[in-house]
Amino acid sequence: MFELFTLFFIQRALLIGAVIAIVSGLIGPFIIYRKMSFIGVGISHGTFSGIAFGILLGVSPLPMAIIFAVGLGIFIGFTSRTGKISEDVSIGILFSFAMALGIFLISLSSGYHADIMGYLFGDILAISNNDLYLAIGVLGSVMLWYTLRSRQMKYMTFDEDFAKIAGVPVGIDYYIFMALISLSIVVIVNFVGVILASSIIIAPAASAKSIVKKFSSIVVLSIVLAELSILSGIIFSYNLNISSGPSIVFFVTFVFILSLFYRKIKNFKVKNR
Amino acid sequence: MIRVDSLSVRYDNFEALSIPFLTIEGGKFHAIIGPNGGGKTTFIKALVGLLPYEGTIEIDGMDHKRYLKKNSIGYLAQRGSQFSQFPITALEVVEMGRYRFKESADIRRKKALEFLKVLEMEKFAQKNINELSGGQQQRILMARALATESKILILDEPLTGMDPKAQSLFYDMIKRIKDSFKLTVIMSSHDVGFISEYADNVICINKELVPHDESAKILSCAEFAQLYGPKIGIVEHHHLHSEKDDV
Repeated sequence: MFELFTLFFIQRALLIGAVIAIVSGLIGPFIIYRKMSFIGVGISHGTFSGIAFGILLGVSPLPMAIIFAVGLGIFIGFTSRTGKISEDVSIGILFSFAMALGIFLISLSSGYHADIMGYLFGDILAISNNDLYLAIGVLGSVMLWYTLRSRQMKYMTFDEDFAKIAGVPVGIDYYIFMALISLSIVVIVNFVGVILASSIIIAPAASAKSIVKKFSSIVVLSIVLAELSILSGIIFSYNLNISSGPSIVFFVTFVFILSLFYRKIKNFKVKNR
Repeated sequence: MIRVDSLSVRYDNFEALSIPFLTIEGGKFHAIIGPNGGGKTTFIKALVGLLPYEGTIEIDGMDHKRYLKKNSIGYLAQRGSQFSQFPITALEVVEMGRYRFKESADIRRKKALEFLKVLEMEKFAQKNINELSGGQQQRILMARALATESKILILDEPLTGMDPKAQSLFYDMIKRIKDSFKLTVIMSSHDVGFISEYADNVICINKELVPHDESAKILSCAEFAQLYGPKIGIVEHHHLHSEKDDV
C-alpha cells in the first residue's frame, strides 16, 4: 500500500492536498458562520468559463481561471453588499451563466478537448508545477490574512454593524475575504474539478462545527478533517483505480455525516443527563 | 451636543424620516418615542453611521462623518437583531469596543475586563456569549458600548421582551452608568410610561419630528394622537420604585 507514496504525482497531490486542507480550515469556518456556503458553487463554476476562455485563446487556462474566479467573487460580493440583489440570487444566476459561457467558449474553440473532464471532475495526474506554485502562493496569502485580519473577520462575522462603528474597515475586509475564497477555489478546482470543489471548502468546517464549540478548535479540527479526507480519498482512489475527485468528496461527506451522528448522540446524552 | 439640520433618510425613493432641526444636549438622558415604523431605529442608525442620509449632523461642532472616522459611538442595537451565532467569548465581544485604541492585546484584555466588571459580568468573561441568557447578553453588549469610551451612548429599544421589574433595573443601571461616565444617553423605547420618569428630555418621532416641549415629562393628548393615532388614550399613573426593587 505504501508504494503509492513513492510516486511523484501522488507526492505532489498530497502536498497540494495538505495546502487545501489548511486553506479550507482557515477560511471555511468563516464561510459557514457568515452563511455563505453557496459561494463555493458560484465561484467554482466561474473558474470553468475562465478555463474555457484560456482554451479558446490557446493560452494557459490557470491565469484565466484566476481572473474569472476573483472577478466573479468580487462581483457577487458587490451585488450582495450594495443590497441590490441578495447573495444567493446573484450566485444562482451567475453560476449557470458561467457554466453556459464556458461550454459556449469551448464549442467555439477548434479540436477535441479530452482534458475538459479533468477540469470538471479533477485529475491529480494533471496537476502541474504551476498548480503547485499557485497552491503555495494561495496558502501564503491565506496564512498572512489569517494572522493579520482574523480578529477583524471575527468581529465582522459576529456583528458587522458594531464592527463598522468600532472602526473595522468592513468593506475592504469583505472584498479581501471574497478574493481569498476565489483564489482558494481555483486551487481546489485544479484538484477535484469544478463540479466537486465547493464541498472541500465547506464540509470539513461544517463537520468541525458539529463536534467542537470554540472557534480556534473549529479551525484546527477543520484542517485535520480536511487532511484526513483528502488523504483517505487519494489512497482509496489509487487502490480502486477510480477518479480521485469523487473519492475525496465521498470521504469529506462521510466525515460530515459522522459528525452529525456525533452531535445527535451528544445532544441525546445531555438531554438524558 | 448633537445638532441635526435638514436630515432626510431614504430607502430607495421612500423617505423614511425627515427632521428639519433638532439639538440634543450633552450630558442628559434623551428618550426617543414613536410608533413602530415611525423612524426611531432609522434615526439611531443614521446617528451611529450605519445609514446614509441627506442633511447635516454635527457632534460637538464637528461634522458627523469626520467625527465617526476618528471616534466610535457607544451603541446597543435592538434586542434580537444584534449578532450571529459565531462562537465568541464575552471578553472578546467587549474587546471589539477597544478596536480604535492603539494598545497591546494584554492592555486590551485588561480594559475589556474592567468594563465587564462595571456591569458585574466579569465571571462570564470566558463564556461563549451565545450560551448566556438574554439579560446577560444585554449587559455584555452594554460593556462593549462603554468600552468604546464614547461620551455618547445610544440604545435602540433595549427593553423589548423585558418584564417591568427587569425594565426598572435596566433604567437604574443606565442612570448609574450615565452619571458615573458623564454620558449623553439617547434611547428609543415603546414604553412611554417608564421613559417619562427616567429621561430628561423626550424626542417624539413619527416619520418626522412631532413638535413637543422636549423637557416636558408628560405628553399632551394631542401629541399622543399625532404619534400613535386618535384611538390611544392617556391614563396617568405613577410607578412605585426604589433603588433595589420596582413594581
